[in-house]
Amino acid sequence: MLSTKHIFKAYSYIFVILIYLPIISLLILSFNPSRMAAYPLQGFSLVWWKHFFSDPIAISAVKNSLIAASATAVLATLLGLGIALVLGRRAFRGKAALLYSMIIPISIPYIIIGGGLLLLFLKVFGIPTNIRTLIIGHTVVALPYSTLVLTARLVGFDRSLEEAAYDLGATSFTVFRKIILPLIMPGIVSSLYMTFITSLEDVTLAVFLAGPDITVPLFIYGRLRRFEGLPEAMALSSFMAILMLSLAVIYLARAARTKE
Amino acid sequence: MSSRDLLETFKEIRHYLTLVPGVFWLVLFLFVPLAVMGIFSFWSMIEYELIPTWTFENYVAVITSRNGLYIKLLLKSLGMSVAATVVSISMAYPMAYYISRYAGKYKYLWINTIIAPYMISWVITLFGWRTILGYGGLINFLLMKLGLISEPITWLWHNWGAVIFVLAVGWAPWLVLPIFVSLEKIDESLLEAARDLGASPIQTFLTVTLPLSIPGLLLAVFFILIPTFGEFVAPRIAGGTSGAMYGMAIEDAFTRMANWPFASAMTFILLAISIVIAFVLIRRVGLETLMEAL
Repeated sequence: MLSTKHIFKAYSYIFVILIYLPIISLLILSFNPSRMAAYPLQGFSLVWWKHFFSDPIAISAVKNSLIAASATAVLATLLGLGIALVLGRRAFRGKAALLYSMIIPISIPYIIIGGGLLLLFLKVFGIPTNIRTLIIGHTVVALPYSTLVLTARLVGFDRSLEEAAYDLGATSFTVFRKIILPLIMPGIVSSLYMTFITSLEDVTLAVFLAGPDITVPLFIYGRLRRFEGLPEAMALSSFMAILMLSLAVIYLARAARTKE
Repeated sequence: MSSRDLLETFKEIRHYLTLVPGVFWLVLFLFVPLAVMGIFSFWSMIEYELIPTWTFENYVAVITSRNGLYIKLLLKSLGMSVAATVVSISMAYPMAYYISRYAGKYKYLWINTIIAPYMISWVITLFGWRTILGYGGLINFLLMKLGLISEPITWLWHNWGAVIFVLAVGWAPWLVLPIFVSLEKIDESLLEAARDLGASPIQTFLTVTLPLSIPGLLLAVFFILIPTFGEFVAPRIAGGTSGAMYGMAIEDAFTRMANWPFASAMTFILLAISIVIAFVLIRRVGLETLMEAL
């Protein structure tokens, strides 16, 4: 059945081209000197990249995005670890309820969480939105990923190892550091990556919760909505896409190695 | 209770203490906001003040105002997200099938190549599609260059078809994964048995492969249907007037109108439908399978 295989293979290459095409097109156009974010190409120029690097708003958007993503990664991983240590190792009443609660953030559109948190901050707490409220929102939607990836590492964990350590006089901290931590280290790396990306790529929650501290996706969304400053936004988009692709490649290559 | 029992109980509780911060976070920043929104949806805005009037008027307003525009938008959004789901899965399935059946030792290279662009921010991917399908986009440029058209065509962008297309292509990489996993689980001997019994490749596919990959398909539906139902970014950028979705109305209600009770009622309707869809899908897929897939 050589021909069937060839048809599938041809389709698969088209598929890959299709999913990379938007990024490649953006990258190419970001070097086009034209004021219009459009073809045909009129030469090669770094003018929009220079524009982006010298635009304080764009640079602060990059900074805000990286701060929010880092804070989300650390917070969601720590909170998720706390939950996973119990979920992965113990059976208790209410476990199913906790599991269902964990997946609620990914079982409803993010816009609902964004709207709800906006009301909580503005109308209940009476505080303005800024990068801190955004980090709180991102941590809510990142928490299922960190919790589940860490729980998966701990399921099937041999409790006798832990008990033996306690019997030999180890403190909880020692047990955690010497037994549990080495076991879940790959999970922690996965969790940090996934939660970092969850925050970095988000525009939905940012629309509601970022306030004046605009992030990169928010900056691009604003430009696209207003049809203005698009070439500069292309340079910023390309920069961010390259950053995110590089992170993905590093992470996926590492994950593939552990699988083998 | 003896002091020894007390000590045991204390030791037992201690093991659960690490739950506290995470559960506290979920309660305060997920359940409380949803509850607040539910409560506000029954209040009123009178002279820019929230007043606890306990009324259904916000829900009535969502359903009846502007000649039922919001309900039409809601139904259209559901239709568009279902369409995007069908198209996206149809795109992802053959891809997953190719990797599972034919990619051999390059399986994970293929998977990683496909997942990597999914990690790029959604709004950036949308921007990219605008440079391809838009008025001054790549396709119009090429068609004009080839002399096939003399004016740029405008029906590639800013309509409902464009929204369904970008949603489908945007999600397809992520849907390859669950379908691939379910295809990998199929026992090779079943396929051989089907062949030995004289089934054609298409019969084998329809009677063995496809039914056995249903868990992966359901998972794929879960992954795409729920987030696309609440979408506002893709329709805002690619949808024009015909491609407007309910999420856009919610975004406006929160960020422009600041009519909190009305916005809350709108969002709660979306929440109710999403929960029903999620619940049905999770029941079919199984919580365990869903958790493994994440």
